[in-house]
Amino acid sequence: MIMLPTVVRNLFGGPATRMYPVTTREPFARARGHVEFNEDLCNQCGTCARRCPAIAIDLDKDKKEWILHPDRCIICEVCAEVCPKDAITIAPQWRAPFYKREAIIYHSKAVKEKGEKTGE
Amino acid sequence: MAPRTITPFGPQHPVLPEPIQLKLELEDERVVGVVPAIGYGHRGIEKACELNEYPKNIYLCERICGICSAIHGMTYCDVVEKLWPLEIPPRASYLRTIWAEMARTHSHLLWLGLLADAFGFESMFMQYWRIREKVLDILEITTGHRVTQSVSIVGGVRRDIDDDQKKHCIEVLKDVRKEAEALNNVLVNDYTVKARTVGKGVLSYDQAIALGLCGPHLRASGVKEDCRTQGYWAYGDLSYEPIVATGGDSFSRAAVRVGELYQAIDLQLEAFGKLPEGELAAKPKGNPPANEAVSRVEQPRGEVFYYAKGNGTRNLERLRVRTPTYANIPSLLVMLPGCELADVPIIVLSIDPCISCTER
Repeated sequence: MIMLPTVVRNLFGGPATRMYPVTTREPFARARGHVEFNEDLCNQCGTCARRCPAIAIDLDKDKKEWILHPDRCIICEVCAEVCPKDAITIAPQWRAPFYKREAIIYHSKAVKEKGEKTGE
Repeated sequence: MAPRTITPFGPQHPVLPEPIQLKLELEDERVVGVVPAIGYGHRGIEKACELNEYPKNIYLCERICGICSAIHGMTYCDVVEKLWPLEIPPRASYLRTIWAEMARTHSHLLWLGLLADAFGFESMFMQYWRIREKVLDILEITTGHRVTQSVSIVGGVRRDIDDDQKKHCIEVLKDVRKEAEALNNVLVNDYTVKARTVGKGVLSYDQAIALGLCGPHLRASGVKEDCRTQGYWAYGDLSYEPIVATGGDSFSRAAVRVGELYQAIDLQLEAFGKLPEGELAAKPKGNPPANEAVSRVEQPRGEVFYYAKGNGTRNLERLRVRTPTYANIPSLLVMLPGCELADVPIIVLSIDPCISCTER
């Protein structure tokens, strides 16, 4: 009997759940969803790769490649915080599930100036 | 005398979200002996923490446990700060307190739901988890993630709560309190709930102290013992008094957690009111020095203990974690003998077991 008010409210209220995946909730503005990379700003300083706790970032300095392993990434936001050029940002949208462990390869375009500090 | 049988309870059991095995010695339906077997969830996190650089361990320590992940990260930061020692800014200590209490709110709501589920009250389980979702949402709004918040760093916190978020959090928390009150009223007063919990798994004051228990489990036996009374972070400034029940049974453990749920919301509201302005983090100088430190922090399940030893490099020489469930499991050996088989799930759940925490 004590549960009755809750039961009545449930009968007339709508469902608390969403019809996922037909209806999805907009991600919150500052949620950590996935890593986004801006090729034009990166100068291959390598701070992100050194500080990443999940070893999810690789650099190929010869080919000027910035390689992200999304299956290892824990979206902790450390890379975005330490990047001295703000080339890495965290977007709030969740990454879709994937079937293969494929690395995402970007090509860094900015050039490191002489005597420039590399963030660490 | 009826013949004795050994019945395994777990490691896979509907009431256990995590693997622990209890070998129950039964005489008909009555439990006469119990042997717990742990070790199904060992991941070697303590050793991995020695191999990682110290700032990277925060994210590893947060993954010791899913429910108290924020507090694990904060306690790790706390113990590493004590190696220097490093003073954290007042705003950071308030924010840590707010997030720790938010974690406690959602953890206790989760546990109350699981308790309802353990005695078959499915609709109440759903209702508790519906409320819990609101707390997880404000955690995601303020920290960026609903489970592994990753807000703490060595020296302070990484994120700030601005005025809009603060206003929103206060509104949601008041709403959560109102909705939880309606449900807790059912839990505390309903006849069937009382029939399943009152007098089940009784531990006296002396037994609770002799077994070295911690957390709500200890306080339900009448012992006024809580790590938050040390006054770490902002707890020293807030009006905080441990919640104690005297029954020592499963019902008292639920009552303590219901009380702590309200108290956690009140502490957050008070902390939001007193939130000072200022820096978010202090910058540590160099590597952690060759020194030893311990830190004791109250988690939703009880006291977590961290020990760290630095050696002047970026890696720690040793990190040791003792989690609350490890201290609480021995009480099962005292509570279970003599009870009915049907009461075993409720008694096991009443210590709020977190097995992955225990084994790391």
